[in-house]
Amino acid sequence: MIEKGKISASQMSVMMYHAIIATGILFIPKTVFDAAQQDIWISPLWAFPLGLLSVYIAYKLHKLYPDDTIMQYSEHILGVFFGKVIGFILLLLLYTSISVMVWQYGEFVVSEFLPHTPKYVVIGMMILLCAFAVHGGLEVIGRLSEMVFPVFFLLFLVIVVLLLPDIEIKRMLPVMENGIMPSVKGSLALYTWFAQFGIIYFFFPYLTNREKGMKWGGISVLAVTITLVLTNIIVILVFGRVTGNFTAPLMSAARYISIAEFLSHLEAIVMAIWIAGTFIKICVFYYALVLGTAQWFNLSNYRSLVLPTGFLIGVFAIQAFLNSAEASEHFHEVSHGLTDTLVYGLIIPMFLLSIAYIRKMKIFKQKGREKK
Amino acid sequence: MKRLKIIWLIGISLFLLTGCWDRRETNDLWVVTGVGLDQTEDGEIEVTVEIHSPNSDGGEGMGGESSQVGGNKMIHQTGKGISIPKAIEDLDTQLPREILWSHTKAIVINKALAETGIREELDFLIRHPEPRLRSYVFISEGSAKDIMALLPPLERSSSEVLIELAKSEVLMKVTLFDLMEMLKGESDAAILPMVDKLPPEEGEQPLETNAYINQSAILKNGKMVGSIDDRLTRGVLWFRDEIKEATVTVQPENADGLISMNLIKGTTKLIPEIDGNQLKMTVQIETIDDVIQNKTNWDLNEIEKQRILEKELAEAIETRLTDTLEIVQKEMKADIIEFGEEFRRKHPEQWKGIKKDWEERFPSVEVTFDIEAKILRTGQGNVPW
Repeated sequence: MIEKGKISASQMSVMMYHAIIATGILFIPKTVFDAAQQDIWISPLWAFPLGLLSVYIAYKLHKLYPDDTIMQYSEHILGVFFGKVIGFILLLLLYTSISVMVWQYGEFVVSEFLPHTPKYVVIGMMILLCAFAVHGGLEVIGRLSEMVFPVFFLLFLVIVVLLLPDIEIKRMLPVMENGIMPSVKGSLALYTWFAQFGIIYFFFPYLTNREKGMKWGGISVLAVTITLVLTNIIVILVFGRVTGNFTAPLMSAARYISIAEFLSHLEAIVMAIWIAGTFIKICVFYYALVLGTAQWFNLSNYRSLVLPTGFLIGVFAIQAFLNSAEASEHFHEVSHGLTDTLVYGLIIPMFLLSIAYIRKMKIFKQKGREKK
Repeated sequence: MKRLKIIWLIGISLFLLTGCWDRRETNDLWVVTGVGLDQTEDGEIEVTVEIHSPNSDGGEGMGGESSQVGGNKMIHQTGKGISIPKAIEDLDTQLPREILWSHTKAIVINKALAETGIREELDFLIRHPEPRLRSYVFISEGSAKDIMALLPPLERSSSEVLIELAKSEVLMKVTLFDLMEMLKGESDAAILPMVDKLPPEEGEQPLETNAYINQSAILKNGKMVGSIDDRLTRGVLWFRDEIKEATVTVQPENADGLISMNLIKGTTKLIPEIDGNQLKMTVQIETIDDVIQNKTNWDLNEIEKQRILEKELAEAIETRLTDTLEIVQKEMKADIIEFGEEFRRKHPEQWKGIKKDWEERFPSVEVTFDIEAKILRTGQGNVPW
């Protein structure tokens, strides 16, 4: 195997938690609010099964080919040529997806905090840091995410608690004003995030305790759902109908905190947890991309690919969109129209799984015939 | 080799961790504490900033009107342009230092600008990453520039006075966030405190006076349509369940003088009801008051008398609220008392039908009062007559 390191199932769970939630807590409230209005806190509950399904399919495939990642078993299932084609599509989607994440990171840091710093510095430093982590291998990323998690969660809770004086229950009412549909529609936007759980298929083969993979995957999905529900509740209770006016409502909420006039201007806390989380998120996807690429080329070592891939990601992230209008066009067309994460997180694995089952049945039938 | 690597790493960190691109030294900054937005007669926008200079030798000879109050220096500067950003650009050319907006606590908008519409101007304040959602918003009777330029005798600056006024919650207190929420609401009406200058004491300089809040501006669709006085403002506060300070003076029947009571606690509940086509609203008020002055010869510790007084108090509040409704609901037709929100919350299904013509139907809402007034204490002393 290319990757010699091993992580525990709980480490994988924490990694996936960060990989989904990092950008989620900032941008999800606003994205969902457009459709769900004051019911945004219900939407994650509808998206929960989809996340679980992504993990489940990846786990099923892992059961069939316990030592392989998706890049390898796609070749087993579809044959070398079609397997490579699927692998290529997968890598391409992963590559654009992570570049967009990096772009989002750079854009947010520059627009909110460092308006005069050139974006390539912000992006470049992040990629450099991630390249270090990815070069260190899976174990390093796993441990890093374990380290980041308590800080992340604690600071998140601090923000929530400090916002409590400003909440007003009536902002949440009436619950389900227009029935169940708005919150379901809101959850469509969430699928983009929850489908990313699919990339768990890159990590299953490297678990020390494989039998616990599904359990911890499920826990991760649950933790993400709970965090999102909490985020959305606090945002809606603080901002109510104004939520839609902010690109990153949690950020604005943290800014809004003012306890006894001296405890204020706390947006740096949100920024800190967000950067820590995004770092893990980028690492996880970056690692998946590098590993996948190495396996696609049948290389014996993926480490030589780390820097070139990072360079490509950086270039794409800087060149991706000229302005925020172009970016929102992209999110509209690709993330919600083409649903790229849904394709690589759910549709491709599902496709592979069904082919694998059909082939298996054929093999059984053949064997049955031979016996006769 | 390894040592070289470490030196490299330290070197890189030294350069990158400084964050020098976005450094802002305090002595390169001017901290804005208050902003005044004016629309001049020729339709241009004037932005007046009140700057609290962090060091006393900062603003010398910069062309701004500066004043020395208690060792602190306040500088006022005005920029002009066709829009707020243009005016700020103009302002930037006059100011040698970078402006720091994030401590803006008071925003004053003049009446002319409010009448043409503040929604567009708010857009700037919300988009800008620096101004705080907690800044207080005021409408000024005259020009906002004049309000900003005042030199209050006690406080450090004019914006400080405004902040304290808003915080005391005697009349309206509206933050930028409250305003956004009101403008986004179902009824599209908003209420803002109005400030004016107190006439200066005799012998004082014309500028040496305070600003004060004496009425409230009513906005519809982001445009100012009128104003109500302090008495009606308190009525509105009752409806919005924001009442903090209120003094009621009554003359009970068969008593020979006035009795004044001070509000300790007041809570309001709006209970909407839809009866066929008729919209009904029950205003349920619970209030606890203390007696602060008794000019009658009543012994207020008699339960009998207290009952009468409580009834009088409830009636006095009801009259005030009916008067408020008369103006706000019947005349201005501005739903600043948030009836629409209540209907939406309690009857979301029917509200969809009502929402379209809410502006026409709002004045026809039937309001009934259910006021429960309690008198808790009658004061520490009792003057024997």
